[in-house]
Amino acid sequence: MSVNQETVENKELSTNTQNFAMDKFHGKAHFWGRLTLWAAIILTLSLPVYLSFVLGYHPGWTIILAGFVAYAGIVAVVWVLEPIMYFPVLGVSGTYISFLTGNIGNMCLPSAAAAQNAIGAEPGTKKGEITATLGIGAASLVNKVFLIPIILGGSVLISAIPENIQQIFPLVLPAIFGGVLAQFAIKKPIYGVIALLIGLIINMTALVVYLKMLLCIVLTIGICLLLEKRNDAKQSV
Amino acid sequence: MEEVMRLANSGIVWIIATLVLAIVVFQAIKFIMLAAKTSKEIGMSTEEVHSALKTGAIAAIGPSFAIIIVAISLIPLLGDPLTLMRIGIIGSAPIESVGASLGADAYGTGLGSSDFNYQAFTTVAWTLCLGGVGWLVFTALATKSMSKVEKKVTNKSEKSKKTMMVVTTAAMVAAFGNLASAEMIKGFAYILVVITASITMIISTSLANKHQLNWLREWSLGFSIIAGLFVGYFAL
Repeated sequence: MSVNQETVENKELSTNTQNFAMDKFHGKAHFWGRLTLWAAIILTLSLPVYLSFVLGYHPGWTIILAGFVAYAGIVAVVWVLEPIMYFPVLGVSGTYISFLTGNIGNMCLPSAAAAQNAIGAEPGTKKGEITATLGIGAASLVNKVFLIPIILGGSVLISAIPENIQQIFPLVLPAIFGGVLAQFAIKKPIYGVIALLIGLIINMTALVVYLKMLLCIVLTIGICLLLEKRNDAKQSV
Repeated sequence: MEEVMRLANSGIVWIIATLVLAIVVFQAIKFIMLAAKTSKEIGMSTEEVHSALKTGAIAAIGPSFAIIIVAISLIPLLGDPLTLMRIGIIGSAPIESVGASLGADAYGTGLGSSDFNYQAFTTVAWTLCLGGVGWLVFTALATKSMSKVEKKVTNKSEKSKKTMMVVTTAAMVAAFGNLASAEMIKGFAYILVVITASITMIISTSLANKHQLNWLREWSLGFSIIAGLFVGYFAL
């Protein structure tokens, strides 16, 4: 009995230290995340301001507004939905990195999932969040290492790639998505089947893209929760 | 058009793009350092940290190539620095191309058309930069509150912790189920690629688990992409 008591206390102590470490980590992540994001916002906007008012190529606010409204009509809902939808997976630091580096669905999320899979960390846990941060951070840097020389070298490099190889580049996306989906399906096959079925049905409809994503996530979460509840009920009987 | 490209590739535009890029790189390094430090305190081994970094890096190679293809197609229209700033850093390749053509539309011209002048380029820059800032502003303002809500849920009890994990896993699976099925309805080759990649992932993960092969776990997404592309090449 006494041994048991001791292990319990030890375990509690270590969870407390762990919680403290995570709180400290989140505090720093909020500070650096916000600082870098606001700096990027100011710098990004300085470009059109410079073109308009320093060089004097201002096209007029009505035209700017027309372009912005047309674009915002497509993306404004996504500004809010994406960070909320992905937050449980990315965590605090993962959210800050992913939304600054961009390419979330095709690069950041797959990298986070692959890293968690490699070391067996569950998403939504402390270990899962740290692992996701490391994975996305590394992915962001690798992406820049590839991108910069190619942009600097210009289109010359790309024209060197044979036409028939260039053709397969659109297939990179289905390959990533299929791979990551299977990665989860190994752990929770039923989740994978549910998500894919709902996804296929939703994608046959004419809904707007972001609504498809939202609907698929909400429905899958709902069904999975019901499923787990039923399993728990069965076990307790 | 040529004159506009000279403006699009001029010094100041490059300086702004380079500075934004520097912030992104700085942020990634800063967060890796913070996470590596915290990893020890929550009981992760150095091997696990290295493995996570390596896997993330490998997983980014495939998508980076796909991103570059879209980037390259925008360079003749937007110039090097604006393309780098929009696609390579903050935005997502497919969305940026839509935004760019909407901006040009608003000015009453088209991307790459002969009457694409300085003002049209400025309109495109406004549209893309304002549009892209939306995500950043929301993330900068709301992440702390989202974190508070999550903590409230997970601190409650063991049961709500378990619920939170089901929600997280289900959300992730749903996101990829939706993304994969959106690709699958594009045609036979796409279905074949999704299936090949899935099977490769299942085989390599079970092999890795059975024989405790860490390197295979790190490469499994990379292999899935390669296998998918290989089969897709013959199906196209």
